[in-house]
Amino acid sequence: MVGAGRCGMITDVKALVQQQLEGLGRYGLLCYEALGSAVRRRPAFGDLLYQLYFVGVKSQSVVLVTGAFTGMVLCAQTYFQFHKVKMDTATLAVVSVSMGSELGPVLTALMVAGRVGAAMAAELGTMRVTEQIDALRTLAAHPVDYLLVPRLLATMIALPLLTVESIAIGIGAAYAVGVGLLGIDAAYSWHNMVRYTEVTDISIGLTKSFVFGAIVATISCYKGMNCREGAEGVGRATTEAVVYASITILISNFFLTMFLSQLAYATGY
Amino acid sequence: MPPAIEVQALAKSFGAQRVLAGVDLSIEAGESVVIIGRSGCGKSILLKHLIGLMSPDAGAVRIEGVDIARLNERALLEVRRKFGMLFQSAALFDSMTVAENVGFGLRREPGLSAAERARRVDEALALVDLRGTQGKKPAELSGGMRKRVGLARAIVYRPGIVLYDEPTTGLDPIVADSIDQLIVRVRDQLRVTSVVVTHDMRSVQRVGQRILLLHQGRIYTSGTPETIFNSTDPVVHRFVHGISDPKEIQI
Repeated sequence: MVGAGRCGMITDVKALVQQQLEGLGRYGLLCYEALGSAVRRRPAFGDLLYQLYFVGVKSQSVVLVTGAFTGMVLCAQTYFQFHKVKMDTATLAVVSVSMGSELGPVLTALMVAGRVGAAMAAELGTMRVTEQIDALRTLAAHPVDYLLVPRLLATMIALPLLTVESIAIGIGAAYAVGVGLLGIDAAYSWHNMVRYTEVTDISIGLTKSFVFGAIVATISCYKGMNCREGAEGVGRATTEAVVYASITILISNFFLTMFLSQLAYATGY
Repeated sequence: MPPAIEVQALAKSFGAQRVLAGVDLSIEAGESVVIIGRSGCGKSILLKHLIGLMSPDAGAVRIEGVDIARLNERALLEVRRKFGMLFQSAALFDSMTVAENVGFGLRREPGLSAAERARRVDEALALVDLRGTQGKKPAELSGGMRKRVGLARAIVYRPGIVLYDEPTTGLDPIVADSIDQLIVRVRDQLRVTSVVVTHDMRSVQRVGQRILLLHQGRIYTSGTPETIFNSTDPVVHRFVHGISDPKEIQI
């Protein structure tokens, strides 16, 4: 009995690993197809514009609130620690570097994954279960060309812009809290911020947000286009899209930081 | 000249469940064929193989002599230009208006002017008696109207073969009759090859020139509506007259 139970467990694990590897393979093929399509075929301008509006303009409030309050709390926490060692005027520099290279891109990407990624997975999932994706195929439209590529390009364009906005509002809010509420010297704070914030910090942050945009769009579209039947399938695809995209953003952030920092160091920037 | 559609030894399984177990059929150009069979017997799966929406585990699907069973999705897009398909749920794009839905198939003709496109959409809608509904959204339409818009979308680019997946399912008998009449009208006016999947026996009599019965993963029998409806074979007789097998209802 024990032997049979162990054998069954091994079979289950093998099936799970095989399923995960198959999923990864299908995702890889979808990304390859999307890359080929984005390079070789021009997406319909109207579709791209609508997706830019949906991803960029409709995410404004979420990104602004996230950026502002992250900058404010970071400023307050940094000030409380730096004040003990009389380094109050370095507070804004810490906020600026943190927002520019890490918090701005990562938090913006996570918020967009939650708002846009969920919507993309739900929309494409519903299209799949109501046979609309099959209908597209019968009308000689490739789902990757028509559905994925406009969403991918729009997210890759919009996310760096949203990140810039988030960084700017975060620094602005931190300045207001630091100078207006905590009484830090405005001129020295500004001077130190400009002095210690490198162009590299911002360029690393924006490069990462570009990659995060691709992650959010491809994972969300993959989950939507491969969702299972029924309302439960769409719900599950939506949840998985947000969870997988968020985890992938956090994991890839570490490796991107290491790689881009080394690249910047090696090239002398 | 090769048949419009030819299927040889088509097999498809989902896990341990074998749905198609070696289907063979041939449909000539201009023919109107109805595929009947019990719910869940694989009729819609077979139809989706004909247009390349599914790839078989084994066997061949030849469209005008070209085997499409092993083609990739990009190559299949070209083959599908020969087809129009009406889905069971109509599968209209719910974010688009009726005109945008019907005109979607015309995207493949980039040289078409806006006026010509609008004229072709109007012409297709007139054929299904839905002129004047261009600005409506699918959510504003009844089930029968959605099917008719789906049919207009399937024929607007004048394909040679039209596939119908349970076109009358879920409709009242009067609307179902009107859909059947439209299928006949499309077949006669546009001279298309029609393949209809259904288990609606009245529909079978109205639109079918030849009937194929799918049973246990294979084409069990084939014939004109008269021969099928007068058949004494127990499987055929029970199906066409809606007589359940007593063994199946024993608890």
